Amino acid sequence: MKTIHPKITEVLTGTFKVPAAEILPESTMDSLEMDSLAVAEFAVIIKETLGVDADSEKLYKDATLADISAYIDAAVGSAAAEVTVPVSNTR
Amino acid sequence: MKRPAIAVTGLGMITPVGHTTDTTWDGVRAGRSPARTVPELQGCAVDFACTVSGIDLDDAVGGRTAFRMGRYVKFAVLAAREAVADAGLDPAHWDGARVAVVVGTSSGGSAGLTEQAVALERRGPEATSPAGILLTIPNMPAAEIAIRMRATGPSLAPCTACSSGVTALSVARDMLALGHCDIAVAGATESIVFPVAMTGFARSGAAASRDGDPARLCRPFAADRAGIVMGEGAAVMVLERAEDARARGALPRALIAGTGATTDAHHPTSPHPSGDVARAAVDGALREAGWRAEDVDHVNAHGTSTPLNDATEAALIRRAYPHRPPVTAPKGVLGHCMGAAGAIEAGLTILTLQHGVVPPIANLDAPEPGFDIDCVTKVPREVPVRRAVSHSFGFGGHNAVIALQAP
Repeated sequence: MKTIHPKITEVLTGTFKVPAAEILPESTMDSLEMDSLAVAEFAVIIKETLGVDADSEKLYKDATLADISAYIDAAVGSAAAEVTVPVSNTR
Repeated sequence: MKRPAIAVTGLGMITPVGHTTDTTWDGVRAGRSPARTVPELQGCAVDFACTVSGIDLDDAVGGRTAFRMGRYVKFAVLAAREAVADAGLDPAHWDGARVAVVVGTSSGGSAGLTEQAVALERRGPEATSPAGILLTIPNMPAAEIAIRMRATGPSLAPCTACSSGVTALSVARDMLALGHCDIAVAGATESIVFPVAMTGFARSGAAASRDGDPARLCRPFAADRAGIVMGEGAAVMVLERAEDARARGALPRALIAGTGATTDAHHPTSPHPSGDVARAAVDGALREAGWRAEDVDHVNAHGTSTPLNDATEAALIRRAYPHRPPVTAPKGVLGHCMGAAGAIEAGLTILTLQHGVVPPIANLDAPEPGFDIDCVTKVPREVPVRRAVSHSFGFGGHNAVIALQAP
């Protein structure tokens, strides 16, 4: 059974006020109406709290929450996770 | 030049005493300051302020975008939402191309900039927010309101320090008069209760220092007044040409009869001791309104509780309005909401016109001997008010005065 990393749920409900009922393993950031800037912010929080680097556009924007959870779990479990997070430019 | 009459058809406020216009009015009328110790200011020379509390701002503005908005932006969005609803308008149905947004601020996102600077210094660039610039630039209140309300007309963020609110209303009034828009969502917002700004105010000598209960420290026009107590908040209004408001059946709360603006060109923080240039702003507003001084039924004073401002302003009021109209100074209750103060106090002046009630000046038993002005103290005074004036004087010497009248 696919699960969602608890930090993802915490950030989405806490910082972005996404209703908990919408946070499903198959949800994507798009389906949750998180725009590019919001996803980049999400990535910063994940990096700050879990130490997991990611290119938010490549790894988070179109992925399902289950996929993001799997990525975070793997990265947390591996000291080798070493990807930089580019800051998105909106204007 | 004959100007069309401009009506205030909607009003929204969020202040240290209320999250809406009605609750703010109740709090100001009660005449009690909510100033208190602020935990985030622990260790600062000034560790107290009047703050907006008891509301989840992120929930209130709609959470997915809250991360990109500074506290002052959220205040503006909420006040604008209330103002537009109060005007009986629905952005889903208006012609957004004819809607302007003019929302001033003094310090803008200085809190956001500071937060990002700390993150950069302590944890490096990857710890900074991708929204860092948006948290900083002072046009974002106007921009976020425009985004939410599909307002694609002109928008801008006037800054004249503590008179920014009146400047914003004046600019919006002119845009309507010139036909640049049909509706203007206008006001001002501020939130700078954070250690860097509070330390700056303490070091400037303008802030009241702790001496007993913070709620008793802001005493406009008192002999023992000791400086500014910081506040925060926003007020936003909907302005329309009175003729347009009438045509759609709207009931204006008030009319903007005139505005006046001058600059001391004297000193960044001290008012010109003669008060003549500030007086010229009053005269300009009265001239534009077509009023004589004795037509003014009430004066909302800038009244910061600093020795210099209140002495200069009391002398100005005595000379400009020799018939001694009742004077109030809401900063005794709200603290000094800086860039937002002029908009909030213009809003309160409108409520005085509507209710026939002048709120009392908090913490004032009687004005300093020698200040020959009629300060309303202790309890609200019921008095018919048809025409009223609100003063705003900002750091930098910016003087802005607005004349408001019952419709």
